[in-house]
Amino acid sequence: MPGSDKQGTGIWREGLSRRRFLKGAGVVGVGAAIADNAFVRAAENIPPAAADPATPIKGNVQITLSVNGEDRQVMVEPRTTLLHALRNNMEPGVTGPKLVCDMGTCGACTVLLDDKPVYGCLTLAIDAVGRKITTVEGLGTPEHPNAVQAAFVEKDGMMCGFCTSGFVTAISGLLKENPNPTLDEIREGCKGNFCRCGTYPHVFEAALAAAQAGQAKTGQ
Amino acid sequence: MAETTPAWGPKDKHRLLNTKLPRVDGPVKATGQAKYTYDVHLPGMLFGRILCAPHAHANIKSLDLGPARKIPGVMAAIAGMTEINFEGTPIAAVAATSPEIADDAIHAIAVEYEVLPHSVTADQAIAPGASPVFPGDASVTNNIRRPPNSNGDPDAVNAALAKCDVVVEAEYRTPTLHHACLETHGWAVDYRGGDTATVYASTQGTFSIPRDAARDLDLPQSSVTAIVQYMGGGFGSKLQNGWEGRMACMLSKQTGRPVKLMLTRKEEFLMAGNGVGSWHKFKAGAMKDGSAVAIHTVQYGMGGLGGGRLAPQPYNYHFQNKYLEAASIHTNVDAARALRAPGNPPACFAMESLMDELAYKVGMDPLKFRKKNLTDQAFHRQLDKGAEVIGWTQRNPVPGAWPGTLKRGFGCAVGNWNGGGRPGNQVDLRIGQDGAVTASVGTQDLGTGTRTYIVAIVAEELGLDMADVKADIGNTQLGAAGGSGGSSTTPSLAPVVKTAAFNARQEMAKLVAPLLGAKPEEVVFADRNVSAAGQSLTWAQACKALPAAGLAARGTFQANLASNRTHGASFAEVEVDTETGHVQVIRMTHVQDCGLPMNRLAVESQINGGMVQGVGMALLEGRIDDPTLGVMVNSSFMDYKIAGVMEIPEMIPVIDDGDERNAVIGMGEPPSVPPAAAIANAVFNACGVRVRELPITPDKILMGLTQIV
Repeated sequence: MPGSDKQGTGIWREGLSRRRFLKGAGVVGVGAAIADNAFVRAAENIPPAAADPATPIKGNVQITLSVNGEDRQVMVEPRTTLLHALRNNMEPGVTGPKLVCDMGTCGACTVLLDDKPVYGCLTLAIDAVGRKITTVEGLGTPEHPNAVQAAFVEKDGMMCGFCTSGFVTAISGLLKENPNPTLDEIREGCKGNFCRCGTYPHVFEAALAAAQAGQAKTGQ
Repeated sequence: MAETTPAWGPKDKHRLLNTKLPRVDGPVKATGQAKYTYDVHLPGMLFGRILCAPHAHANIKSLDLGPARKIPGVMAAIAGMTEINFEGTPIAAVAATSPEIADDAIHAIAVEYEVLPHSVTADQAIAPGASPVFPGDASVTNNIRRPPNSNGDPDAVNAALAKCDVVVEAEYRTPTLHHACLETHGWAVDYRGGDTATVYASTQGTFSIPRDAARDLDLPQSSVTAIVQYMGGGFGSKLQNGWEGRMACMLSKQTGRPVKLMLTRKEEFLMAGNGVGSWHKFKAGAMKDGSAVAIHTVQYGMGGLGGGRLAPQPYNYHFQNKYLEAASIHTNVDAARALRAPGNPPACFAMESLMDELAYKVGMDPLKFRKKNLTDQAFHRQLDKGAEVIGWTQRNPVPGAWPGTLKRGFGCAVGNWNGGGRPGNQVDLRIGQDGAVTASVGTQDLGTGTRTYIVAIVAEELGLDMADVKADIGNTQLGAAGGSGGSSTTPSLAPVVKTAAFNARQEMAKLVAPLLGAKPEEVVFADRNVSAAGQSLTWAQACKALPAAGLAARGTFQANLASNRTHGASFAEVEVDTETGHVQVIRMTHVQDCGLPMNRLAVESQINGGMVQGVGMALLEGRIDDPTLGVMVNSSFMDYKIAGVMEIPEMIPVIDDGDERNAVIGMGEPPSVPPAAAIANAVFNACGVRVRELPITPDKILMGLTQIV
């Protein structure tokens, strides 16, 4: 269930439909209010009083987030989402993940937390402390794209491109778990993502091509 | 061999055009490097937020911005519209140092409303005693705005109907839709108190920005630069500048700091426009031989506070006698804006459903019935092609007769769009002494692949690779360009790019010919070489012959390089679960003519996109307003469902190469017109339930099944 996985944090979207996710959203809300004290305590530069579970945290706290292999110092409020922290509270911002629905329905904000896709708009920044955060920028560059990014370009798995970061990240996460998915498994892997231009057929083609490229690379 | 005027040349002889080209900005989009307005971050930038009125009709008794201004981090709070006649009316805005603080500030603003009666649905608006949306407007009666004239002779139509073998009388409705652009409307205004400003905007009209921004920044229009490098979808809703831009400018002017104001998803639903809803009342008749004889149409468009224009009926079909009465029903809902082929998909659904009903009543294959009443042969060709691709022969002609509870059905529909080009774009082509080639024009790319076809046209003309050419767009400092509406961008721009490249090639041939000991008309540009008379220079060597400033050329709009008027035919195979009412689309195909395809891969993406939006329109989408509360109850992506991966069938996009026109036609809108109608007709063929009001939800199927004996 979301919000009650063994790490006690993060919004696991893997294998969750939007409907099933909703059922867990109440738990998440509570989590947001309590702001997961274990991780707040682990965060740096927090006044001792704030680390006391009985004391509500107010104002900004400085935390360190590991983003695309780099430790980034960032000032956040306890309520600041991981997505806002990445986009707005860092200089330069990490703007690949997009804000679209702000409620965990569209997947444009998808990032990998310890290699698993999560919704950045429903994950608190302080809950990501001590975790490996990978955004679409960390998966590859225009000069050295990963297999999924290269296949999206080749198959035209994008039009306006605003959903693309989310799809690329979700499918990259899927392929880490399941390097050789069927079309149905690809649908499962990105059913938490919306595209309005209607690129889905080319997205599926890209995902299958990326999986094939990965298989060829590992000699399977 | 030397041509004197630019021409596209034989369709099957292109090296780049009319082939599948990966988009040149694909790598930056796929790696998150493409910067949208939403991604703009400027030094000292503030975050803007709007306060939207929560009532459809109200007076503001008092508005106190004081509590918002007291919150640390809030740098400005301003009032907006004072008259509330739709939910979402922007009545105030704030600028704060973080989005979280801006959110606090919006909630701190104290407003006292006097709530007034409203009309938010069509039924509510035309009911006796309804609250008038435009009180005192003489051209509006019972919230219905009628144009001065109707079209045709109703008496002649009624007389003809009396003689028909079969008559169908039916009403069809489609709800108000939403564009649901993933990037919401918004501007980032870079004004820091000086006498110039730069505005980043999510817009379909880059050159529409400076005028509107200058007004609210109190600057000369020429002092404002607009930048639109990437934008996250428009679909017609970003052709006009709304209060999000005005308020961003006002807040920036007041604070002397950059302000980014992007609408929230809820605001996007409430105050960034919508797509017109429709209500058709038909009485139509045909003869046993399948000829359509007479049609009487009353057509209402529901455009909220705006007009409700729909494509006129009987759309693409030929009836001997026709009468059309068109009007708009006004409601207290934000004004409709153009939505991808505005007014066409709803009118197409109504007409294609009617034609299907007539066909079944006559007892004729709906495909044959259509062809009998379509005079344009392009539709005949496309219907035949689509039928072959979908496997129309597998169709069970008796609705609902498919065995079992999972019933398969097939449906089809045709649609059109105009989509022609026009003058108004300025393309500057520069070739540097170092061999660099850049085509510049200020236009925007909505996701259609503008940069890619610019590069392809130039590269093909100059015998270069795609990687040798750069397209520079999305900036008002570059050459003028029109707004992207009506699928006009590509047919307007591509001819100018073509003539610019042609002129550059002619000019360069003159300069290089002496080096080759040849005449300019003998010079050939191919394989990254410039050759003549058995001599050959590499592109880099040839460019060294240019003057230090390089070579500059401009293009002109040459009308014969573009065309208009498109045809498309959609087919759907669906499966209806008669136990749950669930509809799953199994396969779809859409056959689309498009003159000379600039990029077959991008055209296929557009055709797929049209089918995907058709799935949403047919099965999922529709704005729901609560008539009692006067509010939209599904203003989120949780409740306003757009098609997701689980709804997507196997899709087969077909470019109609039987189209012999060798000229450019825009493809943004045409493929989005008939897909929804094809799905609705397939649903009827599958289960025998004719759903006359979209979207086709399970409850409507189950209710319909109970009425079939």
